[in-house]
Amino acid sequence: MPSRPIIQVENLSHTYMKGTPMEHVALKEANLYAEEGECIAIIGHTGSGKSTLIQHFNGLMRPESGKVIIDGEDLSKKKVELKTLRQKVGLVFQNPEDQIFEKIIGDDIAYGPFKLGLQLKEVRERVKWAMSVVGLDFEEMKDRQTFALSGGQKRKVALAGILALKPKILVLDEPTSGLDPRSRNELLEKIKRLNKEEKLTVVFVSHNMEEVVLLADRVYVMAGGTDVLTGTPKEIFTDKEKLLRYQIGTPETVQVLYRLTDLGYQVNTDAFSITEAADEIMKVLAGTKEGSEHVQRI
Amino acid sequence: MEPIIRLENVSFSYKINEKTKVSVLKNVSFSIFPGEYVAIIGHNGSGKSTLSKHLNGILTPDNGEVWVHGHNTKEIKKKRAIRQSVGTVFQHPDNQIVATIVEEDVAFGLENIGVPREEMKKRVDEALNVVKMSQFRHRPPHHLSGGQKQRVAIAGVLAMQPDCIVFDEATSMLDSFGRKEVLQVMRNMNNMGMTIVTVTHHMSEAAEADRIIVIEGGQIVMDDSPREIFKHKQELENLQLEVPSVSQMAELIHSQYTDFSKDLIQENELIEEVEKFSKEEVV
Amino acid sequence: MSSEFEISRSITIGQYVPTGSFIHRLDPRIKLLAFVILVVAIAFNTSYIGNAIGLVLSLYLFWASKIPISYGLSGVKPAIPFIIILAILQLLFQGQLFSDGKVYVDYGFILITSESIRLVVVSAVRFIEIIFLSSVLTLSTSTTELTHSIQSLLSPLKKIHFPVHEISLITTIAIRFVPTFAIEMEKMMKAQASRGADFGTGGWWRIIQRTKEMFPIIIPLFNIALSRAEDLILAMECRCYTPGGDRSSYSVYRALAKDYLVLMVGFLFSLLLLFYPFPF
Repeated sequence: MPSRPIIQVENLSHTYMKGTPMEHVALKEANLYAEEGECIAIIGHTGSGKSTLIQHFNGLMRPESGKVIIDGEDLSKKKVELKTLRQKVGLVFQNPEDQIFEKIIGDDIAYGPFKLGLQLKEVRERVKWAMSVVGLDFEEMKDRQTFALSGGQKRKVALAGILALKPKILVLDEPTSGLDPRSRNELLEKIKRLNKEEKLTVVFVSHNMEEVVLLADRVYVMAGGTDVLTGTPKEIFTDKEKLLRYQIGTPETVQVLYRLTDLGYQVNTDAFSITEAADEIMKVLAGTKEGSEHVQRI
Repeated sequence: MEPIIRLENVSFSYKINEKTKVSVLKNVSFSIFPGEYVAIIGHNGSGKSTLSKHLNGILTPDNGEVWVHGHNTKEIKKKRAIRQSVGTVFQHPDNQIVATIVEEDVAFGLENIGVPREEMKKRVDEALNVVKMSQFRHRPPHHLSGGQKQRVAIAGVLAMQPDCIVFDEATSMLDSFGRKEVLQVMRNMNNMGMTIVTVTHHMSEAAEADRIIVIEGGQIVMDDSPREIFKHKQELENLQLEVPSVSQMAELIHSQYTDFSKDLIQENELIEEVEKFSKEEVV
Repeated sequence: MSSEFEISRSITIGQYVPTGSFIHRLDPRIKLLAFVILVVAIAFNTSYIGNAIGLVLSLYLFWASKIPISYGLSGVKPAIPFIIILAILQLLFQGQLFSDGKVYVDYGFILITSESIRLVVVSAVRFIEIIFLSSVLTLSTSTTELTHSIQSLLSPLKKIHFPVHEISLITTIAIRFVPTFAIEMEKMMKAQASRGADFGTGGWWRIIQRTKEMFPIIIPLFNIALSRAEDLILAMECRCYTPGGDRSSYSVYRALAKDYLVLMVGFLFSLLLLFYPFPF
């Protein structure tokens, strides 16, 4: 049976406040697709349309023109069952800890499942599972108060609240913004596990290139309301001309490697991790030990 | 040279309730000298935020003293002089801007201290110039990006002509573009002679400073130049702090090529070392 | 509408449309005073002609300030449901107060006369006039100008220790955060809707239910507002703000002859609307 992508966006356009003096074109014929189980990164400057795009995935916005098809369902139909859509597609906004409103952790995580109409027993199971996924001890934390938590813990609670819906697709807007290094690494680890082990399709927006390289199978670059470039991280970060043209940042390791290529050294710019980049540099140094003819200067 | 800020055996606890106190700072002493660019780093919960609030008298120590330009922060009469001398830029870009347009907000501090109008206009213009926000002077804050808002906040502090500006995790809510903008402004100001103290958990930011103070469990555990600090990779890792990518790469290379310096912290240095290495071998 | 949530962009309060017109360049204190006396006059005028004049005047002001009338209309749009509901209620229940005039309907407690119809029409038109006038004022006057005007006009009260600057600062801060808050509310509604929250469904009789539905919006926004207040106070103190302290002022306004002339004209219009016995 041929598999179709679980997310299909075709020529999607959206204009805010159309027809008023404050009109603003946010999306202009954007395209994107994601296969089930993939991890997709969306990068681009502020104002490139990323937020508007992801808000179409769970029906917060309906296609003005173009198509958005989620798990086979065309969202431009008149009647879309939003409840089931929002269960299937879990959307986590930036700084999701802002949306915690219940006094007790367990209650806040349980909000979503209760809204789905699940029974108490099932809700409890879901909350337990969600908390374990994000790394919060169920027995210890479920009755604790939300306001006394640290920023990193609050974010875990917010994420658990979405995971408790058991979505098929997880959409995250800047998941690690504002977190300190340890919390950031922890969270990325969890997202990776959700994608690889729990088989969730993940789409995330990020400004952090290290994150993109760590998690993404494929990357979409947005600019001016449309997708201008797409490919694997390797394809994106080794295309120097495009990187410059669209002002795409690169991981620090890649930056160093590019500067070395500028100076004439032969290094692969797809060595993203610190160890790989160091290996590339060491290749250069090994070359010099055998004499200058290996170093080509332009 | 007289320090701008001096901490002497500062200890501080937060009262949770009548019976419980949590000790957050334990016997902290150090000085900040004019023209320095100091980064205070520590993981969340290390006490760094509490420490930064002691630098201009927002909080006063339970034990020990904090001196700003010779004034003791406990002296209520000296509050204004102290706050003028040490300005602070906070984390949340929106929650520092009170006025409806940019130039009005930059003037706010000056109005508070009664600076005459002519002088005010001059200072506001200069401050907006330094942070490169002059063309936005008539814009309302909600039309600005996070980085732009923070630059406005910086201008508002700069206009008061402080001796030192403290940045309390001022880039943690910004995206990478905004962070770059703010770091650039900090660098420019320091080049012009402004004393900068930045409290952060971003190692790449700390690497910009001349001096890093590492705080853990309410105590200073390291106080040295970035180069020296980043040598202690294992210790930093134990403190849940990262080491810049460049340092990590340098160390890996050094383990194979012992002549290759492992104490590199900036991109430029790494490139230069590679160049040096290849030239050396040829000779 | 392709999104249920586009609130923040329709907020026109705090929106300033600089067109450099004559109206824009007037002393804001004059504009504020003229606005107040015109609104008072309109509020008390109950004639058709008087209100027609008022409506024409407000439309003229839009034209004179070179602001597209669409801005004014988008200010009226959200008020239309209220206007209609008010009109219906007045028509049905306030008829008894206007028993003179030609009677059209007399059924039980419902009394509709030509006078009660006048009430309904005049109320609706007055509402629209006031919305137009407020829109012109806020669209042609930056919020800083407005708050400075309020401060300036109230400053004589400093002599009786009325906290003029504090009130003015509170107003400025409130206005400054309206757009920010609208954006945050929009985001909050979207975030909670993504968790399955349901706003605005069910009939009006489920009012308790519907209020409960709003908790996931109200509580977090409240928290944001409180922590914002804390942060602001701290930031202001660090910039040496002292309530009740002496302070200098960044902006200054000087009223010219043309400003006084405009004020005169506004005053005359008000007198006209208040006291002229319009026949209809």
